[in-house]
Formats: sequence, C-alpha cells, structure tokens
Amino acid sequence: MLSRTIRPAAALLARPAVQQQTMGMATLKEIEQRLKSVRNIEKITKSMKVVASTKLTRAERAMREAKKYGAANNEIFTNSKGDSSSEGTPKILYLAMTSDGGLCGGIHSGITRMVKREQAKQAGDLAVVGDKPRAQLSRAMPETFKVTFGGVGKDVPTFAEASVIADGIMKNGGDFDEIRLVYNKYVSAIAYEPAVNTVITAAALRQAAGFQAYEMEEDSSNDLAEFALANAIYTALVEGHAAEISARRTAMENASNNALDMIGSLQLQYNRGRQAVITTELIDIITGASAL
Amino acid sequence: MSAATWREFMTWNKYTQIASRAVRQALTETERVGAERRAQIGVRYQLWENGQGGESKFVIPQVEKSGKPKDT
Repeated sequence: MLSRTIRPAAALLARPAVQQQTMGMATLKEIEQRLKSVRNIEKITKSMKVVASTKLTRAERAMREAKKYGAANNEIFTNSKGDSSSEGTPKILYLAMTSDGGLCGGIHSGITRMVKREQAKQAGDLAVVGDKPRAQLSRAMPETFKVTFGGVGKDVPTFAEASVIADGIMKNGGDFDEIRLVYNKYVSAIAYEPAVNTVITAAALRQAAGFQAYEMEEDSSNDLAEFALANAIYTALVEGHAAEISARRTAMENASNNALDMIGSLQLQYNRGRQAVITTELIDIITGASAL
Repeated sequence: MSAATWREFMTWNKYTQIASRAVRQALTETERVGAERRAQIGVRYQLWENGQGGESKFVIPQVEKSGKPKDT
C-alpha cells in the first residue's frame, strides 16, 4: 500500500510546520487518486460481470441444444470401436479449443496444462483454436503446431464456424489416425474442467468391427468421418464457450469484491490522513496563538 | 450428386458450405438477409511450419462495411 504510514501527531511536532503540511497533502492526493482509479475499476468489473451473466443464459441454452448433436456423434463411435490397438499406436492430432478473449480466470491455462499432460503421455501434432492458448503453447511446443485458428468465441459458436475449422484441419492437419479434442467441459454455473474427446478418421472407421457389420452401397465413411469431426468440434466449441462465460462472470465478481475491499481500506486511510492534517493545523494555530 | 465428382476438389464440409450458401442465396429477400447475417463468420487461420507461424488469413474474405459496394 502506501510507502509511508500516517505518523501520530506527536511525532510531527518535531518537524518544521510547512513540511508537515506538504507531506500530509501529498499523501492525501495519492490516496485520492488511488481511490478514484479503484472506484473506476470496480464499476468496470461490475458491468462486465452483469454482461457475462446475461450472456450465460443464452450460451447455456445453445449448449443444451448442441449436446444432443454431440451425443448422437458419440453413439456412432461407441458402437464402432474397433481393435485399433492391434494396429500399433495411432498417430494423434490434438485440437486445443478455447478462444481469443481474456479476463476469464483459468480457462486458457487449464487447457494448456491438459495438452502438455496429454503430450507427455502420448505425443502428437497440435492444432489450436484461440489466440490465447496459441500464445502459451507456441512457447512450450512450437514444433508440433500444424494449423491455428482465431476469431472464434466472441459470440455463441455456430456450426458454420465448426465446419470451417474441420475443413481446415482435414486440409492442413497433416497425417493422423485420430483427433483428440481438448476443451472445457461445463460442469455447473461456477465450475468447469478440461476434458478430452476422441474422433477417429475415415480409415480407422472403415476398419472398425462395428462399422463393417453394415452393408453399404456407396462407401460413405469419408463423409461420415468429416461430418462427425465438424459435429464434435461444434459441441466442444459451444460447451467451451459456456464454460468461458461462467468463468468470466466468476472472475469479474471476485475482482469487484476485491475492489470493494480496497475501496473500504483506502477510505479509512484517507480519513485518518485527513484528520491527521487537520489536527496538525490546529496544533500549529494553537502553538502560534499561545506564543503571542 | 455422387461423391466422386466433388471429392477430388474438396472435403465434405466444404461441399456442404457451398451447398448452404446456394440455399441462402435462393431464399426470398427477408429470409435471405437474416440467413446471410447468421452466416457471417470471422474465422482466421495460420499454417505453421518448423515452429513458425505463417501469415494470418481470413477463411471468408471480409468485406468492409464502409464505402465499398458489395458484389452480389
């Protein structure tokens, strides 16, 4: 806080009168300025919290709808799980998904940590959605990067965005057998946690025992795999968006509460300082008057 | 349209993007305006090689809102 404490009036008597007053005034001005800026910060964080609360209802509704797509997607893969383990280790592309925005607590760093943990267990290439995790991961593992995306997450994500990202990955993601989506799972309005979802490519799908049980006129496994990827990306994006908004709401609420605490303690300091200045002035006047 | 005709040029996702753009342009005026607004996306991408990021490009080129006339 302040570098100098407010000294009791008795100690100030030792100093010349003018210096006392200027020292008192300077400290008061500093506290006043800090009070003004902390009050502004409190206003801003409070309004950000309100905006995040209103956005959260819309994001939650979109997430509930998107989860149905995700559930349908997972149905295919649970029923067509093959013995891919017998083929040796599959080549993996990790897709880390958050967004470009900040002031949302541990959203981005949670995903970065998860990606680092997963890479340590099983190495693979990396694609990133979001400027913030891209910056963090490009410091840690730049040689694994294949393609990165940005401009997603300002508003509720749409299937169009997911489709564009899926297209970009198929074109520029290199060679891979499965994709692991790393995103934030929405646990509740105040909790979220990073999670991993696996999507397999067309080649792996064709070899899956469950898939081969079906008779098909035309081989649609390419179309199915690409649609499933876009679907999975869409679900993960929407859920991650809802998690981010709830985290931003919590972070702004904590910031506002901290700002209010600071305002309270600064106000007390200011009052003490003001009273000390008045007291020293009175003492000067009285000593001056008694000297006459 | 069988897959063989467009498969060599694009992925299924690109194919559906083009098809949905055609549907949007075929709608009546009021629906079309709403649909085109919903379809606006500002996704950027960057290709990386040897730990170096390439130039950041928009997937769908953005049209400036001021001055420049939009070709339909």
